[in-house]
Amino acid sequence: MSSDYELDSDEEYYDDEEMIDGTQDDASEDEMDMDDYNDDFRVDTGSKKKAYEIDYQSLTQSDVEKLMKQDIDHVVGITGVDESTAALLLRHSNWNKERLIEKYMDNLTTVVVEAGVTAPEPTSSPPSARTHSVSSACLPRGGSSSKPSSTASHSHPPPPSFQASSKSEEPEPFVCPICFDDSAELHPLSLDCGHLSCSGCWAAYITSKIRDEGEHAIRCMAEGCALVAPDPFIRNVLLPPEGSTSPPLDPKELKANQAAWNRFQELLARNFVASISSLKFCPYPGCTRTVKCPTAASKSSLTTIVPTVSCGSRGIPVSEDPKSQPSASLLKKEHKFCFGCTVESDHRPVVCGVAKMWLKKCEDDSETANWIKSNTKECSQCQSTIEKNGGCNHMTCKKCKHEFCWVCMGPWSEHGTQWYSCNRYDEKAGVDARDVQSQSRASLERYLHYYNRWANHEQSAKLSVDLYAKTEKKMEDMQLTSELTWIEVQFMKKAVEEAEKCRMTLKWTYAMAYYLAPGNEKELFEDNQRDLEKAVEDLSELLESSIEAEEIATLRQRVTDKTVYVQKRNDIVLDDTAKGFLEGRWRWNALLKALKRMLRLKRWPSGF
Amino acid sequence: MSGICRPRLAEERKQWRKDHPFGFYAKPVKAADGSMNLMEWEVGIPGKSDTPWEGGLYKLTMTFPEDYPSKPPKCKFAPPLFHPNVYPSGTVCLSILDEEKSWKPAITIKQDLLNDPNVLDPAQSEAYTMFKNDKIAYEKKIRQQARDNVPK
Repeated sequence: MSSDYELDSDEEYYDDEEMIDGTQDDASEDEMDMDDYNDDFRVDTGSKKKAYEIDYQSLTQSDVEKLMKQDIDHVVGITGVDESTAALLLRHSNWNKERLIEKYMDNLTTVVVEAGVTAPEPTSSPPSARTHSVSSACLPRGGSSSKPSSTASHSHPPPPSFQASSKSEEPEPFVCPICFDDSAELHPLSLDCGHLSCSGCWAAYITSKIRDEGEHAIRCMAEGCALVAPDPFIRNVLLPPEGSTSPPLDPKELKANQAAWNRFQELLARNFVASISSLKFCPYPGCTRTVKCPTAASKSSLTTIVPTVSCGSRGIPVSEDPKSQPSASLLKKEHKFCFGCTVESDHRPVVCGVAKMWLKKCEDDSETANWIKSNTKECSQCQSTIEKNGGCNHMTCKKCKHEFCWVCMGPWSEHGTQWYSCNRYDEKAGVDARDVQSQSRASLERYLHYYNRWANHEQSAKLSVDLYAKTEKKMEDMQLTSELTWIEVQFMKKAVEEAEKCRMTLKWTYAMAYYLAPGNEKELFEDNQRDLEKAVEDLSELLESSIEAEEIATLRQRVTDKTVYVQKRNDIVLDDTAKGFLEGRWRWNALLKALKRMLRLKRWPSGF
Repeated sequence: MSGICRPRLAEERKQWRKDHPFGFYAKPVKAADGSMNLMEWEVGIPGKSDTPWEGGLYKLTMTFPEDYPSKPPKCKFAPPLFHPNVYPSGTVCLSILDEEKSWKPAITIKQDLLNDPNVLDPAQSEAYTMFKNDKIAYEKKIRQQARDNVPK
């Protein structure tokens, strides 16, 4: 295909160049044909998947729970502990299975004590028996779904310690150390440590820990005791099983406890997701989905890919407060976010590091300093910053009344008496001073060039909300004034969506171009950028234009064509940039020293 | 734990009256009409003998939240105390009074009051720096404070 090109056809971007020509010719064809063409073209590169597309999976909370269960089962299978102990161990070791098993094999007692599974230095029984009693206590109710009543069917020698009602038969009546109640109906419970308290105090303590502190590792109430309550114990306290000896709960309490139990499950899932680097919660409010993206799990991968993912849901929950009602566009918005950073939901084509750096630069007032540097001078006596806004070169500092020459910065007295030496070129000093000033002026101009375009696209993308409303109105008008049906006027909506998407891409291409080193790659990048920008501007203009009844058919044709073309251009920019990152083709200028170093080292410095 | 809070405080009051460390006092504050407010206690702590604190009696108010004992009480010296673990406002900063740290529902007022201070968690820079850098000046200041707090 590239044989008629004088340039090296091995290079990816020349193929893209050719595609530009191809697509321009085909711009009048309809979308279907475009796709066919695209497919034909893609066969050359050997893969149908575009370089900027990332593999990911959207998971529901129950999917996440299944993943947790797999890890727990894995640990159970290897170590032989029961499920709830395995869960406590895993949570303690941040779900790092390998390290946990290693540590467990290495020093069993330390691990179980650290995780709060058993108390240190058991006094009543030797360590082995202690571990065993944990197992027997928790094993029968490993799964949250299995009935605690099944405990009865297991006849382990030591009775499960949190079924400790038997202990109330001791000669001295039980007094709860928390509420100091000593009535006979109390239902004392304890973890393996034997620190008994009544079930009411336990329930109140657990709900307060879960609800107010969002804590999932709930420790024994006794002072200094580090034992963590296993899940079956918490379930047993919050939602006592049918036929248990504890006093029945009133419906209100039961509801609160049920909510606490649900929240507890959520906290566990959150802890799991936060610990696993290939999982991330959807950041949209009220969304419970999780995205799994193994390709973007390591920090170093973020230097070569832009993991823009979507959890698959749309919209955000409608709040009860009418004032904070989300806008209509947000209600239908797809839950799209960047797996690698929180800078912006979609900052393609630039990688997270560059996007972050660019935003930081924009936020910094470092450019203010640059402006001051290029537009002002300092009084040589009192160092006040002075901007010259007209007049002659004889300056008098307003503050210290120092008189000096704006050109050479020397005192004016020398200029007054003897004819001044300003005109004589001081080779060294002059060059140095001018260099510094002109450099900073040039760098400021360069930055402003990119920043203005970046900000302009951001602004335009924001205005697309208005455009959207206008378009809807236009679509209604079209249905009334022409023969077109509802489905046929959808092209307008599609065009607006596409234009907004492309503006976001364009916006970030300016951040990227700011950091790219001059050269062939940058020129090609800017060519692609220019083509996309021109196409988007054309499309935007079409969308803003007024509609004449007799021209609707032509307009429709033109808008559809442009939309398809714009889509294609956007694809090219995203695809080519993504490929460039994967190939390490992009060369960065000195402004991005940190990133440059990082790309070479393939390591993401912390805090970057 | 609102259901537990009051009975527990009443019981703690009972136990305190039965037995408490020498020199200490602790009682719920009385409202103007003479009714007792269990949620706020007035406490006095004597300075430990053989320390610069000896001789003083330091007054403290303990304010209990509704979900006590799930949550720890707030302890505040009035007047504010010159001590590394006390905020300039008088509020005490100790890990056993922090529900995210060592606070446990089983800790009672008695244990709160007898807890040893620690220097690793400074709350007031003046006392802390003096304690670290100039022990003599620190002890002198503590002795002066003890004299100012002699019970009348």
